[in-house]
Amino acid sequence: MKGNFPPPLLEPLPVTIGVWYEPDFLAHEFYDEAKGRSDSTWIVKTGEAQVQMWSQLLRGMFDTIVPSENKPSPEQVSDAVAAVLVARVGELQYAIPAHTNVKVYEIWMRYAFELVSTNGDPIAEWTMTAYGKTPTAFLRSDEAAVNLAAVVALRDAGAHFITSFEKVPEVAQWLENQQMDALDKEPSTAL
Amino acid sequence: MAGESANGRVRQRAFYCPVSRRVHGWVHGSVLGLTMALAGCVTSTVDEMVFNEPIEGIGDSSVVILGRRHASDYETEFDFVNCVSKHITARDSNIEIIDELEFINSLYPWFEPRTAPLRPGDIDRLMQQKPVAEQLAAMKLEYMIWVDGSTVQTNSAGSMTCGVGPGGAGCFGFGTWGNAADYEATIWDFTDQAEVGRMNTQTSGQSYMPAVIVPIPIIAPVQGTACDGMGNQLLEFLSSEH
Repeated sequence: MKGNFPPPLLEPLPVTIGVWYEPDFLAHEFYDEAKGRSDSTWIVKTGEAQVQMWSQLLRGMFDTIVPSENKPSPEQVSDAVAAVLVARVGELQYAIPAHTNVKVYEIWMRYAFELVSTNGDPIAEWTMTAYGKTPTAFLRSDEAAVNLAAVVALRDAGAHFITSFEKVPEVAQWLENQQMDALDKEPSTAL
Repeated sequence: MAGESANGRVRQRAFYCPVSRRVHGWVHGSVLGLTMALAGCVTSTVDEMVFNEPIEGIGDSSVVILGRRHASDYETEFDFVNCVSKHITARDSNIEIIDELEFINSLYPWFEPRTAPLRPGDIDRLMQQKPVAEQLAAMKLEYMIWVDGSTVQTNSAGSMTCGVGPGGAGCFGFGTWGNAADYEATIWDFTDQAEVGRMNTQTSGQSYMPAVIVPIPIIAPVQGTACDGMGNQLLEFLSSEH
């Protein structure tokens, strides 16, 4: 799957975040098998595009992003990052005109996010949905149309994440704590 | 035929059939030569209501035309928005229209279907983001035009059979289908954060495809006529020369 994912336009949050992509997330794909002579079998591999989109998005959203090669655990304590974000695709559903008789290709995804401390303790867990659709077009194959719908869904995922991240109560509390910690660490200036 | 204008409101109705074009085919082996392309007839209705039309054009400010895509059962076609933009710039090159995709990408994610402002008052929420305000100021954006609608097929009938044999190839049959386009353009004054104009274009037409050996397409340019209608109205609003 290939797509164009622009960097987000916003003021980055003043925190350093680690990000860990699970192996299933990196290799995520979905497919549809042909059920008749007029159908075609297609497969859309989204893993690479997912990493591309989320990396681009998180780089614009936070001061610094540090990719993590391993799952955060009590054996690994790091001061380099304030927390680690873990993303996974919880569920994916798709619809094509052959199934619905509607001239639209649709993708719906549900993501599951975890924000964990550097030693693996959970800070917040939440889910988020994303949706993408594209109309039929002359001479466009099922695979190309589903690819386009998936790109739209990934862009929607980025938009939804940016607008909803600070509204997760545990995340909002954690960000407030980070800001207070940063203020405490600043040297006081006496008049 | 234009209706009367009262308080800045205009209604225009038209029924016309585009001039036919003859396209010469090519002869190759046993393939038939001449093909004639005709255009079907289209009915068009344009409604316009404007409040604060710029008297001397928009100067060096820019305009962006965006399509509404937040509904679940349709989305405004990128091709249609592009057509309207090109219609305007072809007739007045002084009007700077920012490309839709370029605008959406440069302001990601604030103009995605999920996040795009639905009312002029929502612009204030956008401008609270400093990088967004700076980007919009750099673009010198004066008017934001939202186009909402789509072109749909309304009916279809007939059948056609095509075959290839040792003596040649050909088709036989008859098909007809209808298309209807309904678009509304809402003009926002970006500086004043207010709606200043609204236009509606409705077109419909029936296309035919008789086939006697060679299919003869008689296509009604429904979406193209809607594009022209809306483009002309927007041109009158934006341009000092029209």
